[in-house]
Amino acid sequence: MSGAIELGAPQLAIAGGLVLLAGGLSVLMQLGVGKRLAIASLRTVVQLTILGAILEPLFRSELGWLVGLACIGMIALAAFESVRRAGRRYRGIRRDAFVSLLFAGGCTAVLATAAVVGVEPWWEPRYLIPILGMILGNGLTGISLGLDLCLRSIDEGRGRVESLLVMGATPREASRPVARAALRSGLVPILNSMSVVGLVTVPGMMTGQILGGSDPTQAARYQIMILFVIAGATALGTAGVVLLALRSLFDAEGRLRPERLRRVLE
Amino acid sequence: MLLRAKGLDVAAGGRTIRSGVDLAVDRGKCLVVRGPSGVGKSLLLRRIAQLDPGEAGELALEGRTPSEWGYQAWRAEVCLVMQGAPQLDGSPADWLRAVQSLASQAGRPTGDPLELLERWGLDARSFERPWSELSVGERQRCQLAVALSREPRVLLLDEPTSALDPDAVQAFEESMRGRTSIWVTHSAEQAARVADSVLELGA
Repeated sequence: MSGAIELGAPQLAIAGGLVLLAGGLSVLMQLGVGKRLAIASLRTVVQLTILGAILEPLFRSELGWLVGLACIGMIALAAFESVRRAGRRYRGIRRDAFVSLLFAGGCTAVLATAAVVGVEPWWEPRYLIPILGMILGNGLTGISLGLDLCLRSIDEGRGRVESLLVMGATPREASRPVARAALRSGLVPILNSMSVVGLVTVPGMMTGQILGGSDPTQAARYQIMILFVIAGATALGTAGVVLLALRSLFDAEGRLRPERLRRVLE
Repeated sequence: MLLRAKGLDVAAGGRTIRSGVDLAVDRGKCLVVRGPSGVGKSLLLRRIAQLDPGEAGELALEGRTPSEWGYQAWRAEVCLVMQGAPQLDGSPADWLRAVQSLASQAGRPTGDPLELLERWGLDARSFERPWSELSVGERQRCQLAVALSREPRVLLLDEPTSALDPDAVQAFEESMRGRTSIWVTHSAEQAARVADSVLELGA
C-alpha cells in the first residue's frame, strides 16, 4: 500500500471545526449536549491517539507473545463491554463471555489470517489485530443482545421453562426455546448489515482501504471476507455465551435457579 | 407405600419455611395437604417434585430416591401441576407435542387428553387454540389433561380446580379416582370428598 496523504494537526483542526459547529448549534438551540459533545470529542482524540501509539510499535515488533497479549486484552475488553450491556448478571458471567469470545473471535480471526489471507506468519499484527478488532466490535453487539434476551427470558419466563421441567425435561430440553430465540436475536444486527451493505453504506474498512490506495475490487473482497467472518464469529460467540449462561442457571439436579440472576439498573 | 418423605425441609429464597415434614401416600390414594396461606403448601409440592432444592430429608418413590431414579425420570413420574393456569407460547397441543418429545417421556404409557377434556366439559377444539385465547378455567383443564394423560405414578396437584365450575370439578374428581395424588386445596368440602388421608400444616 503506497499510502494515503498524511494528516497533520492543522488538517484535523479543520475537521474539528465541524464539531465546534455542532457545539454552536447545541448552545443556540439549547440542546444541552454541548458538554457531552466536548467530552466525546476529547475521548475520540485521546483514545484513537493512544491506539495509534500502541499499534505502531506493536506492528514493528516481531514478538508473537506481545501480539497474543494485545489480542487477549482486546477480547477481555469486548467481553466486559458485552456484559455491561446486558440488563442482568450472574456470578461468572464475565468468565463465560470471555471464554466464548476467546473461542469464537480467536478461531475466526486465525482462520481469516492463516487460511483466507494466507499471511506469513499467521499472527502478523498488521492483519491479525485489525481483523480481530472488527470481529470483536461487531460480534459483541450480537453477543450482548443474545445474552440479554436469554437472561431476560429466564428471569421473566420462569413458568415457561418450568412447565417442561415438571414433565421431566432436561435443562437443555426445557431451555431450547430460550436458546433459539436468543441466538436469533444475536444474529439480527449482522444479518441486517449484510443485507444493506454497499447499498446504504460504504463500510468503514472498505473506505479505509480505498483511501489507503487499494484497488476497490480488492477492497470489496476484503469487506466480503470480513462480513462472513463476523457472521460466523457472532453465531459461534452467541451460541457459546448462551449455552454457558444456561449452564450456570441450572443446577446439577436439573433445577432452574433464577435466584442466581441479579438485575442491574442502568 | 408408593411415595414417602421423611424429615423434609422446605425453603424459599434461602430461608427455611418448614422442616421435618413426614408424609406417605399409598398406591391409588389421595393425600390432601391443608393449612392457612403461606405455610409452604405449594413449596412442599415443588420440593417433592425436585423443582426446588433442599438440604434435609429423604424422599423415595417405590423405595428409590430421586437420584436413583434420575432427576428427569423422577419428575416424569412425580408430576407437578403448578398453581394457576399456564400462559405459554403456542397452544396446549404444542405443549403436549413438546412434552411427548422429551427423552424422559419416551416409551411411557399414555392416555388421551382430548377424551379427558370432553369429560370435563371442554370442547376438544380448545386444545388447538393459543393459550392466550383461553380462559383461566380452560387453561387449567388443558394443563391437567396433559399431565393426567402422561400417566405419572404420582400427581402433585396445587389447587387444581380453583377456576372450574362445580360440574367440571365433579368430573375432574371422578377422573382422579384410582390415581395416586398429593393434593393441595383450600376447600374443606373438596378435601372431605377426595382425601384418603390429610396432612395439616400449622402456621
